[in-house]
Amino acid sequence: MPGPLTGLRVVDVSIMAAGPWIGSLLGELGAEVIKVEPPAGDGTRWVEPLQHGMGTNYLCLNVNKQGIVLDFKTVEGRAAALELVATADVFIQNFRGGVIERLGLGYEAVRARNPGIVYCSVSGFGETGPLAKEACADFIMQAYSGFARLNGHRGNDVEAFRFTGFLDLTTSIVAVEGVLAALLARERDGAGQKLEISMLQAALEMQATRIAELFGSERSAQPLGSESVGLCPDRAFAVLDGEVFITAHDEAQWAGFCDVIGRPDLVGDVRFATNAARTRHRAELDAIVEPIFVARPMIWWQRACDRRRVPCAMAQNFEQIRYHAQVRDNEMVAEIATPQWGNVVVGGIPWHFATTPAEVTPPPVPGGDTQRILSALPAGRQPEKAS
Amino acid sequence: MTAALPVAGVRVVEVSSGVAGPLAACRLGDLGAEVIKVELAPAGDWTRGCPPFLADGTSSVFFALNRGKRGLGIDPARPSDRALLRAAVERADVLITDLASDRLAALGLADVDADVCPWQPRLIVVQISALGRRGPLAGKVGSELGVQAMAGYTRYVGTHGEPAVRLGADVAGCGTGIFAAQAVLAALFARGRHGRGQRVDLSLLNSLLAMKTVHLAAQSDPDAFEGPRVGGAYDPPERGWKTRDKPITFAFGGAVGAEGRPGWTQFVEAMGLSKMLDDPRYDKNGRLTTGLGPKARELKPEYEAAFVHHSAADVVARVRQYGGFASAYLTHDELMREPQVESLGIVREVEQGGAAVPVLDFPVRFSAAAHRLKGGAPRLGEHNAEIAAALAADASPRAASP
Repeated sequence: MPGPLTGLRVVDVSIMAAGPWIGSLLGELGAEVIKVEPPAGDGTRWVEPLQHGMGTNYLCLNVNKQGIVLDFKTVEGRAAALELVATADVFIQNFRGGVIERLGLGYEAVRARNPGIVYCSVSGFGETGPLAKEACADFIMQAYSGFARLNGHRGNDVEAFRFTGFLDLTTSIVAVEGVLAALLARERDGAGQKLEISMLQAALEMQATRIAELFGSERSAQPLGSESVGLCPDRAFAVLDGEVFITAHDEAQWAGFCDVIGRPDLVGDVRFATNAARTRHRAELDAIVEPIFVARPMIWWQRACDRRRVPCAMAQNFEQIRYHAQVRDNEMVAEIATPQWGNVVVGGIPWHFATTPAEVTPPPVPGGDTQRILSALPAGRQPEKAS
Repeated sequence: MTAALPVAGVRVVEVSSGVAGPLAACRLGDLGAEVIKVELAPAGDWTRGCPPFLADGTSSVFFALNRGKRGLGIDPARPSDRALLRAAVERADVLITDLASDRLAALGLADVDADVCPWQPRLIVVQISALGRRGPLAGKVGSELGVQAMAGYTRYVGTHGEPAVRLGADVAGCGTGIFAAQAVLAALFARGRHGRGQRVDLSLLNSLLAMKTVHLAAQSDPDAFEGPRVGGAYDPPERGWKTRDKPITFAFGGAVGAEGRPGWTQFVEAMGLSKMLDDPRYDKNGRLTTGLGPKARELKPEYEAAFVHHSAADVVARVRQYGGFASAYLTHDELMREPQVESLGIVREVEQGGAAVPVLDFPVRFSAAAHRLKGGAPRLGEHNAEIAAALAADASPRAASP
């Protein structure tokens, strides 16, 4: 059987990142997704780096879509958009506050044509409040949401994640959670609704555990290097030829850790008797184990930890990830053939459904499906005018 | 108008620990599901041991991820406990678990993770692993930290060649929790159409690689290895622009747009930086010198020379006034006092141990489908008797219902 959302239609007028990836994920789940671009094009077409002249952001954030171009500045373009939205189950937009209403595609206007629509509206800071109309971007939300205050070595105050777009994509996945809930509600009562998704709330959801600690301690989280507040040991250790990343979640893994480092006596040490006790005596534990780790290479620690079922990992770069048997066997990345920009590696599907599998399909040629999709609209639409 | 909760009446059994599975089940509970949290004796979910602790002694993280669930404590060695778990799963719509097949079988749930569960074909099974169900590393234990390293995330914080730094947020756990909630909702949607449940596999590593799509594509076969998406791993730590009190980040114009934003001119004049207007390094409204622009790092000190005479709030207000976008780097404590956060009402309170404890609201604002935040994270095995009685009273296994 095809993907779980087969038979649903999504119309996506969003641009850049946080909006477009929503449609791609819904497309991977089986929905038919129509990306509507203005004549000037989605700006991601020109964001570097390019691949055979096309922005790689455009390629990866618009998989599983068809592409059409409509000019919302014209009466015909807006009318065609409204007709198209009338055929949709889900609508996605991320214009700056107030713009979508001026374009005639605000929720009330769309609902009047299509009461069943799940209308997904994405903003930076939310649609009410003093910052409702402020534009946002990934690095702005990293600053505002406290995300960047969690990173760095002890004593640092702030460090941004140099991995642009992570909170944009976080916003997308939270939106998909909301869209799916709204689609289920619609299955039951037939009614659509409007969803408001802000980068702010999404960024907080991604920090749910750190926010929980704030609420439990009334203290803001600080950068802790490779360590965490809640677990010990849980850090990178310098070893002979690099670093290994080791965690003990529970007492079984702690006992395994003590075996791995050749210090089974530590299991009975009252300072380290529970995880909570270990978090209070981190420095003492570090002083004992750091000289032990540095004496042997990464691969030795990896094997020793595997044998005792202690979580241990080594860092990887893109080229190692790309061809890793584990990554490929589980389809964690996907390599897709694009119409004119060559093969491109994108993120793999995050959920593997046993009987209704999701799949990744190439992005569209911008506007390449305009004629076909508009001519299939109900009579009265003249696609050549609209495009 | 009171709309039905989207998954009202859906029964979820969650047998998992840590962040991903518990977060998914918690959010499904907010959307109306009845959630039974199954924990294995003697210790239960490992987050129970994670500081800091609430006034009643409950771990704050355990509380946040497990509020509103009923607690079933199982001793895998006791046949009666295994039978109770089996009965709960037989009457469930959804099983969320981070246990591998052999552990499930040992709990009396053999074959529950077949493509379609043979003894409960309507059951949706979401199985979460660290590193994937198949492949040479299947079944290996993993962690948030280890998966961040394996997915290449730790390369984008800290300094290349120096001790590694993690991403402070639990991005693998929370990200997988969000994907797992999606998996349940999508599988429920499909079950409504086709009548059958199925297994869905997720992993922490897979989630981080799915969310790495921008960087994977950028490094795939680029025309030039330039820009933050391909070079970021070797850049120095990014700490924004200094002001008198705390660092900020700002930009005029996005990543594209040939001329930048004209408001930049007024901004630099207002900040006493008019000399930039005649400096060719700042051409096209300084578009390459702010935000993620390629000249931003190099020219940062020239902006800071003026910014250090102003508070962060002043600089941010000026940027916004002239049409740019900006924010100070806020701590969580500062964020919670922001008028924007207060006006959105995204922090709510629920009950725990007789006290009101703040929690994050559901991250989507719905116009109709209500959600309801629940309090009261269970003690280990708190509801065993109640659950056993309810299951005994429910004579018909769900598998037999249409």
